[in-house]
Amino acid sequence: MNNMSPEVALHRISPELRPMLCSVVRDGRVGLDSTNCLRVTDLKTGCTSLTPGPCCDRFKLHIPYAGETLKWDIIFNAQYPELPPDFIFGEDAEFLPEPSELPHLVQWDAGDPECLLQLVKELIQQYHHYQCQRLRESSRLLFEYDSLLEDPNYGRNMEIYAGRKNSWTGEFSARFLLKLPVDFSNIPVYLLKDTALDPGEDVALLSVSFEDAEATQVFPKLFLSPSIEHALGDSLALQIPAFPSGGCLIDYVPQVCQILNNKVQYVIQGYHKRREYIAAFLSHFGMGVVEYDAEGFTKLTLLLMWKDFCFLVHVDLPLYFPRDQPTLTFQSVYHFTNSGQLYSQVQVSYPYSPRWDGNEMAKRAKAYFKSFIPQFQEGAFANGKL
Amino acid sequence: MAASISGYTFSSVCYHSANSNSDHEGFLLGDVRQEETVSISDTQISSAELLQVVEIHNHDPCAQLFSFYDYAGKLNEENLNSILKDRRKNVIGWYRFRRNTQQQMSFREQIIHKQLTQLLGVPDLVFLLFSFISTANSSTHALEYVLFRPNRRFNQRITLTIPNLGNTSQQEYKVSSVPNTSLNYTQVIKEHGAEFFDKDGVMKDIRTIFQVYSALQDKVQAVCGEVEQSERVREKIQEDVNKLKQQIALRKHKTAEEEKRLCAAQNADSHPTPEENTEPSEASPLSRITFHTPSAPERPSTSPNPPSYSDLLSQDDSLLSSSSPPTSAALLPRPQAVGSPGHPTPGPLGMGPGLGLGLGASSNPVTTPSTPYLGNGDGSSSDSLDRQAAGQEDDEDDEDEDEDSSEYENLVSEAGHPPMVSASVLAQGRPAALSPDGDARGSQTT
Repeated sequence: MNNMSPEVALHRISPELRPMLCSVVRDGRVGLDSTNCLRVTDLKTGCTSLTPGPCCDRFKLHIPYAGETLKWDIIFNAQYPELPPDFIFGEDAEFLPEPSELPHLVQWDAGDPECLLQLVKELIQQYHHYQCQRLRESSRLLFEYDSLLEDPNYGRNMEIYAGRKNSWTGEFSARFLLKLPVDFSNIPVYLLKDTALDPGEDVALLSVSFEDAEATQVFPKLFLSPSIEHALGDSLALQIPAFPSGGCLIDYVPQVCQILNNKVQYVIQGYHKRREYIAAFLSHFGMGVVEYDAEGFTKLTLLLMWKDFCFLVHVDLPLYFPRDQPTLTFQSVYHFTNSGQLYSQVQVSYPYSPRWDGNEMAKRAKAYFKSFIPQFQEGAFANGKL
Repeated sequence: MAASISGYTFSSVCYHSANSNSDHEGFLLGDVRQEETVSISDTQISSAELLQVVEIHNHDPCAQLFSFYDYAGKLNEENLNSILKDRRKNVIGWYRFRRNTQQQMSFREQIIHKQLTQLLGVPDLVFLLFSFISTANSSTHALEYVLFRPNRRFNQRITLTIPNLGNTSQQEYKVSSVPNTSLNYTQVIKEHGAEFFDKDGVMKDIRTIFQVYSALQDKVQAVCGEVEQSERVREKIQEDVNKLKQQIALRKHKTAEEEKRLCAAQNADSHPTPEENTEPSEASPLSRITFHTPSAPERPSTSPNPPSYSDLLSQDDSLLSSSSPPTSAALLPRPQAVGSPGHPTPGPLGMGPGLGLGLGASSNPVTTPSTPYLGNGDGSSSDSLDRQAAGQEDDEDDEDEDEDSSEYENLVSEAGHPPMVSASVLAQGRPAALSPDGDARGSQTT
């Protein structure tokens, strides 16, 4: 049974094994890609078909690893729930971890709900070692791995998947999944809040696929957790350079990190700049401020009067402010358009410089309002109706 | 490598497994033997193929899981010995049963297998994996089994055969070479064996039968000896007979010459004698001894011009002198005792083959006191014909006698019984009294 929801799995599993499975499906996050939970499918039983349910005691566990999904069979015995499980490592028939490296297997405690999850994590660790061993088949890729391993920024947060691309030609391929050491903690919280699900850990993963052992076909890809993606804009906005031919990961990865860091910094700075801008406008226009976005500082609305003519000014600050100029929308409070909306005019080009500080921007904006309003008023009277 | 498991072991393992409510494991007991096949072909002198055959005779189920290993899969030799006891040396593999799982060795199974291989000292230890796969609605249950050879590359799988599980009408029913290790069986055989087995362990009946066989062989050998002797006697007699024949022929020749002279003298005054002499003429002195002339391989009837009587006689002489054995028994005239009804009185000598022809076709006046040939058109002798008329014998007997006639049987009067002639000749020489098909019942055919 595919795409089984965790609740269904928990319902069908033997009651004695339920706590362990619960911790796996609800809290189970292993590896770098912790945004993807562990998934359980193909629940079966080792009891006779006449045994009344629920008595399922064996299932397939889907584990995200290095951009792949490992499908491991976990075999319990419902009649003997105190016994540790057995494993079938799917297509990786040659993967045989050393039992002494699996403390949670040697000291299996059926009463501990976390025991299975911990054991799976230990197995993943062993699996990682196994894959790194397989890199020895290609000296080029082994060099890539060793050079990254030496750097503590990347070495500790790396998943390797080495596999044969073509079993006939024996062409070797490998994928490196690296967790980039970028600090997202200073990103304003408001930017990270708009995701429907629990966003989990903020993480940026760089996946680099080597389609051949000589590193002539290399395909990098950046993966961002949903909240970061929302905060920084999607991956389209975040273009990473192509892998240079003849280049190596130890040079390329820091490059990508830098780009990402810059973007993050920019976003953080932008937030602060916006806040400064709004603050300046508040101080300059005082009572004229109708409302403003107090969380993200992205919007501001002013109600101003010039020679008994009242008008609204909406200021929209873009994400990459101050690089990008804020949009000013003038709106008349008297006149309507044919469609029943208040008559308004949008101004995107007006005297502006990103190098001005908030105060300067407020002053210049005020001066601009004064110069533009007569024109706006005429337009409103001419095109709008009361 | 090939592997086989006896039917009862297989069914026993299945029974144990099907009745267990969890995974189940045990050990396989049996033998490993080497089979060498030497094949000789035209391309090479010989090629030898070595095949290792694993035979599973029995199994030893474990009472529970983890009975001889711990959570990490480490073997406990003490527990292992207490399970296997003295059967340890017979272990050739182990098995595991698990429901609804893949047919692939699991992590723990591989760990255990490696240790078992070392501990038991069996380099090619096999692993048999049973699995029950059930459909979701429990309507179909499949028992799958795979025999692994994990100590080889890529976890080699071996075909496991179960003797006589199949279509025995097309396959030979194989007798298992599995030794019977049952204690009960051994006891019963020990108790009652003396009635059937002798002190050497061979079945008594076999010995008896062998004795009968030996006796029969001796008898056959003795009979062979007797046959040989009788054959020698027969050979001697045959030689005597041939000699006598030669003498007869000689005398005939002399008689014939005499008669020639007489005829020549008589011909000057008398008419030629009728074609057929249906009545017996005066008996010649030689008629007392009934002899048959040997069959003539060369028939004078094949020539377009029928040969003269003298030619026939000369042919006959040459045949007699050569003392050739009778060729086709079917062509020889029917033997018959002298004086039996229908048996024509033996005529004078000189009646060679083709006499009828000579009498019927030739214009040469031939005075033959001998009886004419009473052929029936098919080449059989006139005797048979007579016998048919008299109702004495049936056709089958006639044919049998004809076919297996020995020289003894075929010694009839030469004068009275002319030898075979061809059908065309017979047609010419047929007596008028006979019906066209040679039936001696006469012309009235009703």
